[in-house]
Amino acid sequence: MTKIEVLGTGCAKCKRLYANVQEAVKSLGMEAEVFKVDSLDELIERGVMSTPALYIDGTLRLSGRVATVDELIRMLRG
Amino acid sequence: MTKIPTCTCGENEPGRIIFPCAGQANTGQLSNLAAVELTEEGYGSIACVAKLAIGDEGLVKSAMNADEVVVIDGCPLQCAKKIALAQGVVPAQHVIVTDLGIGKGPSKSYTPDDIETVVSACWRGVGKSADLSDPPGRQE
Repeated sequence: MTKIEVLGTGCAKCKRLYANVQEAVKSLGMEAEVFKVDSLDELIERGVMSTPALYIDGTLRLSGRVATVDELIRMLRG
Repeated sequence: MTKIPTCTCGENEPGRIIFPCAGQANTGQLSNLAAVELTEEGYGSIACVAKLAIGDEGLVKSAMNADEVVVIDGCPLQCAKKIALAQGVVPAQHVIVTDLGIGKGPSKSYTPDDIETVVSACWRGVGKSADLSDPPGRQE
């Protein structure tokens, strides 16, 4: 099962990325666990300097902006 | 003492311009609120459709050079889209609020869910498959 993590401190952009990820997962019908990580300590530990950030199976795939649903679908397919 | 940032958000995507119709009806007002929310969420930057209508040279140039122009119209009159096309600006996405199941007037009221419906539709790109050709003019 794919593990997807959305890192952010809870602002509008972070919330939207989380929503878009859920929408993309739903569209693909894939089995995935989506987590919201809002701990500042966790962000610092991972070296995330710009949020929101997206990790797919432990790999940083996006940082500092929100991806559209289409872009996320392509990312998750890839 | 180290100051802890409350937000570490990146910048908005520079290449996307959003034109809401900003009409007087509830749906027009919703188009504007959705464009503001989309700007806050980093989807793009809201721009003034009235300024586009008067052919403001700078704005027309910005719209022409944008990676993507998104037009949000409140109703099937498609005023904002017609304004854009009249200036030679072809939208990559065109969302009509009433197509999303939100009725136009007579009430001016709307809910946060209505705003979310329009905002999430733009993020999903539902208006990308719309017919982006010149809409038929109103019969006088």
